[in-house]
Amino acid sequence: MKKQLHPLTLWICSILLAIGVVVLDNAFIALAIVGAVAVLVYIRRDGSPWQRSFALSIRIGLTILAIRTIVGILIGVPIPGTKLFTLPILDLPSWMPGIRIGGVVTLERLSSSLHEGVIIATMIALFGAATSLTSPHKLLRVTPSFIYEVGITLVIATSLFPQLATSARRIRTAQKLRGFEKIELRSIAIPLLEESLSRSLQLAATMDARGYGISRKRSRYRPQPWLMRDNLVLLFALAMTITMVTR
Amino acid sequence: MITFSNVSLIYPQSTKTILEDLSFQIEEGEMVLVMGETGSGKSSLLRLINGLVPHHTGGILAGDISVDGISTRSVKPGSLAHLVGIVGQNPINGFVTDIVEEELAFSMEALNFAPDVMRKRVEEVLDLLSLSALRNRSIATLSGGEQQRLAIGAALVMHPKVLVLDEPTSALDPIAAEEVLSVLHRLVHDLSVTVIIAEHRLERVIQFVDRIIYIEGNGDTSIGTADEILKRSELVPPIVKLARALNLSEIGTSVREVRRQTEDVRSVEYSRPLSSPKNSSLAIEISHVSHSYTGKIALNDVSATINHGEIVAIMGRNGAGKSTLLHSIVGLHSPQSGEVKVNGTDPTTLKGAERRKSIGYVPQEPSDLLFASSVSEECALADRSNDLIPGTTASLLNRLVPDISANAHPNDLSEGQRLALVLSIVLSGNPEVLVLDEPTRGLDYRAKNLFAIALKEYATQFNRPVLLATHDVELVAELTDRVLFLAEGEIVADGTTLEVLLSSPAFAPQVAKVMSPKPWLTVSDVVHAIEASS
Repeated sequence: MKKQLHPLTLWICSILLAIGVVVLDNAFIALAIVGAVAVLVYIRRDGSPWQRSFALSIRIGLTILAIRTIVGILIGVPIPGTKLFTLPILDLPSWMPGIRIGGVVTLERLSSSLHEGVIIATMIALFGAATSLTSPHKLLRVTPSFIYEVGITLVIATSLFPQLATSARRIRTAQKLRGFEKIELRSIAIPLLEESLSRSLQLAATMDARGYGISRKRSRYRPQPWLMRDNLVLLFALAMTITMVTR
Repeated sequence: MITFSNVSLIYPQSTKTILEDLSFQIEEGEMVLVMGETGSGKSSLLRLINGLVPHHTGGILAGDISVDGISTRSVKPGSLAHLVGIVGQNPINGFVTDIVEEELAFSMEALNFAPDVMRKRVEEVLDLLSLSALRNRSIATLSGGEQQRLAIGAALVMHPKVLVLDEPTSALDPIAAEEVLSVLHRLVHDLSVTVIIAEHRLERVIQFVDRIIYIEGNGDTSIGTADEILKRSELVPPIVKLARALNLSEIGTSVREVRRQTEDVRSVEYSRPLSSPKNSSLAIEISHVSHSYTGKIALNDVSATINHGEIVAIMGRNGAGKSTLLHSIVGLHSPQSGEVKVNGTDPTTLKGAERRKSIGYVPQEPSDLLFASSVSEECALADRSNDLIPGTTASLLNRLVPDISANAHPNDLSEGQRLALVLSIVLSGNPEVLVLDEPTRGLDYRAKNLFAIALKEYATQFNRPVLLATHDVELVAELTDRVLFLAEGEIVADGTTLEVLLSSPAFAPQVAKVMSPKPWLTVSDVVHAIEASS
């Protein structure tokens, strides 16, 4: 069996990178990081259900990017520059000063909207990649017992992510087979919400019944040691973040 | 070991008491079955034992429960982890880690056991439950039976004195269920573990249990030996129904006992009833279908035909390819080779209203199709989408389950009621073919009976085919005309229900086991044959 990185390493790395991306505020570097992470996720795939969360996070990111761009074009402060095209200006009542809908769309305005969308999407993708690479269940194994309440919340919250993807697909299939061709948010969201709620409750109940959080101290069955390479990976990520932040 | 004294339970915002003034004692090394209709409070009773109710769910508890001298009132469920092991209905939802070995160690880690103790106990349990070969496997890749054994193992590492299981075999095929139950049997006999089990499919567990706690619908609860309870209960396995129908002096719970009492019935020669050949015309044609998922072959050159008016069961072990075959038939994916024709059309091309009219599909989780906030709204939606007179779906539902409340939220319905609601929504489209994926999970005998009647009516009245994937041999014996038996993606048997079920001992229903070698599957088969000959 291949020795794996400590789960915390991967999570800390993705958080560091996310900070770097936000501070640096450069869409091209952000896209490059997403590309690199995508390759990593592809290499380390092992067929576990968590694997899908990266693809899902990319899709969510793209949706946000699209919405951000459309909103950016329609509403907002006019930025002078190269004129691309003009949208008709919507007349707004006088009690809404300072907001303009429509108007001239400049290259600068389009690119700044795209840019902000890319940054948000990158952060989501980084989070998705971390979930993909180490399951939250593994993460729980390394949380110290004194943050029990936080640990339990964290596990339940993050388990929802890949389970949502699996359940959403199953529900969508069932409804397609019923002949509902249109994707209605309500028709998928309600069964999905009900299922995830009851699943979370069940998981919490079993953890409770199995003695989680009773003992102050917690022993390790096969401890996941913090190795030299974890240090190296972290140092590298830290260096990268510092470069991005101080540039 | 376990003492309930004057226990009553009521949940907040509920007017109905779940349990009322319940008192009983369970001794060490007893195996006790909790039975009752769905929603009668079986799960609540089980979870009272380690304090999950009311510590985790809320609710008002009167009276006292003590396990090995410790009152559940005073301690949190986690403090009883070394005493009571609990295995939930869907083990996959309760797994905390993703590797078999780590899952087994989880409880011990949480309670700060020494590493060498942990290693020893994990090895013990791996051996006891024959899980050694799976120790490094990812839990998501285990079969249903293996997952269930793992969940039992995860509870056993704590060396609990009491093991509580909520419907441990409901998702399992007959062979995997047998494995799990024989493990429990061994625990009771070799290690004197007290086992409390809730189960709907009494035919699977009844021969193993010492005593039964029967929660009746009206709030009464009785406790007694299997014979005492089954003599007067409404929920009985086929073997007891048989004993009642034949007026046997004693009610037996094992095949062996009833076989001894029915020797004279079996010794007489009976004339075989003439089966009237059905006027058959082709409805579904499956020709040379193969399908595989990422290198794993799910279906291998499967060919079969299904005629109008036939009720066909697709059986086989977990992972034999049943769901893939159903998905090909309903047109979820086009098979990689071969083709499927439903009434002459390719099912993958169907859309919208046309699909609703051609194929009715009831998914494994019926609630996937429900999203309105009340039953009546759900029915109205079905009427609208199928251009029916308002009220059609509601009256269909009323025929299936008369006592359903129209204002209830679909999520508050019992399993049986929810299935009935989905079935009537699907049937309101008047589909030419009905396909169901494991429809009877979690249903009690009464709900199952209603469901079987509805399906039979649909098949005979409109002369349309019904196809269902199921593990429930008793349902298959009662309901279906034909069985397709799948193994490793191939059809290994295709014949009348009688032929297929009688040829495989593991999949034979209880009555057939008792009456072997007579060709009878159900109690009514036996009664008809005896009536015809006298």
